[in-house]
Amino acid sequence: MSEYTKPLPTITDENHPFWEGCRQGKLRMQKCGDCGHIRYPISHVCPKCLSYKFEWADLSGRGEVFSYVVFYQLYNKAFEKDIPYNVALVQLDEGPRMYSNVVGVDNDAVKIGDEVEAVFDPVTPEVTIPRFRLRTTTS
Amino acid sequence: MHPLRDKTAIVGVGASPQGKIPGSTAISLAVEAFKRALDDSGLKKEQIDGLLTMPGSTSPEAALNYLRFGETVGINPRYTGSKVMGGGTAGALLHEAALAVNAGFANYVACVFGDAAATGGSRFSRASGWGDSWAIWGFMSACANSAITASRHMALYGTTSRQLGEIAVACRKHASMNPNAIMRKPITIEDHQKSRWIVKPLHLLDCCLISDGGVCVIVTTRARARDLKQPLVLISGMGQAYTTENMEREDWWYVPHQKLAVTDAYNMAGAGPQDIDVAQLYDNFTSSVLLWFEHGGFCKVGESGPFVEGGRIQLGGELPVNTAGGNHSESYMEGWLHIVEGARQMRGECGERQVQGAEVCLVTGRGQALNCSNATILRKG
Repeated sequence: MSEYTKPLPTITDENHPFWEGCRQGKLRMQKCGDCGHIRYPISHVCPKCLSYKFEWADLSGRGEVFSYVVFYQLYNKAFEKDIPYNVALVQLDEGPRMYSNVVGVDNDAVKIGDEVEAVFDPVTPEVTIPRFRLRTTTS
Repeated sequence: MHPLRDKTAIVGVGASPQGKIPGSTAISLAVEAFKRALDDSGLKKEQIDGLLTMPGSTSPEAALNYLRFGETVGINPRYTGSKVMGGGTAGALLHEAALAVNAGFANYVACVFGDAAATGGSRFSRASGWGDSWAIWGFMSACANSAITASRHMALYGTTSRQLGEIAVACRKHASMNPNAIMRKPITIEDHQKSRWIVKPLHLLDCCLISDGGVCVIVTTRARARDLKQPLVLISGMGQAYTTENMEREDWWYVPHQKLAVTDAYNMAGAGPQDIDVAQLYDNFTSSVLLWFEHGGFCKVGESGPFVEGGRIQLGGELPVNTAGGNHSESYMEGWLHIVEGARQMRGECGERQVQGAEVCLVTGRGQALNCSNATILRKG
């Protein structure tokens, strides 16, 4: 198995619950202990009410594609074999937005507004990266 | 009436050679621009008592750039500092200079920028986000942020890549009439369509250049400007606004702060979109220019795609935009040359590319990951 050379998170006390959640197959974010706002990216303080209180809440992992781009230009050599690869801005059902990748389909098959759900990609023994797949339509 | 309306003037502009300038540094290019702006204004170095600078991406001293530059040109300003807001910096420093001269902090403020980004190594490809950067998912580069905007605008409003191409074509056409522009060979929509993808939906010709160069703009009060040699160019209105929330704000992609910045500038100037004769709109990517038309009130939300068709934004059209070629074709001076061209259009010294009878110019700036914006209304004095 070849070594994973793409950027990895630095696991800290602050972000450990997020990445541990991913290892367990759960998308987990911080929920403010005072106003209930669910925030992302990870922060020590609620950007809405400035409270330091929070708990890690399990999310549904569901959302929709808010915006969507495909990288043809290589900015980091570790992605050379992936070009062209997609990045989606995902609007999660619980409110937060995050960048990720839509996997399992051709780049051209993804449209803004498509419903997606999280899948979990173990890239190293320590790190599992949350990505998304299109939710199966039953029409 | 706003107390700062028409109270400030741009009295000197200067730009170094632009392009790939081997052996240049951010400081050497800034110095050359400063010398040319001094010559343009007729002021002596000793009269410059305010210095505001933007460090280039290749300036090792970063936000201590004002000290490095001041030492290099041998001045001791009463008022100084550096600011780092990417393409939002030029306008923000111009405004700061206007505040400083009207407050009496300084009489003549030189606003200066230099960068050797073309020969010194581009630093514009970094990943967005703090901490656990978005590079984990491969999200990198300034282009990607604008591609996010373009992609959603296309999905919501039916905007097309060919419409984005209209902006690139207009910039290049105007650069062909500018002897100081780097890219002067006219292009067509088909050239734009055939250029390679960078971050889809943006092609290579949707992207600005990476350039070496320096720019300087000298500002004083209207009263002092009357004694100087150039035709009077007034700063009639100014506005700035920022969205720093990024992911927390749903409409961040639409850079909503740009509307606030332009509206404030209109209000200070007592003007509106119907008064704008020519516009220098910040064009890091073509999609950025589209949003300026919507935020500036030139068209309705979502209608900027059709708005740019049919030569409307070219010289001879209803609203000529980026008449020197912009970041796309003149040089990527992060919006500094937009101010210079605005001033030159108001002086009426642009020759072949002069907008005849132009008396009011809108100049805009934006920067960082869709975070910073500013707008300035220039008026012929």
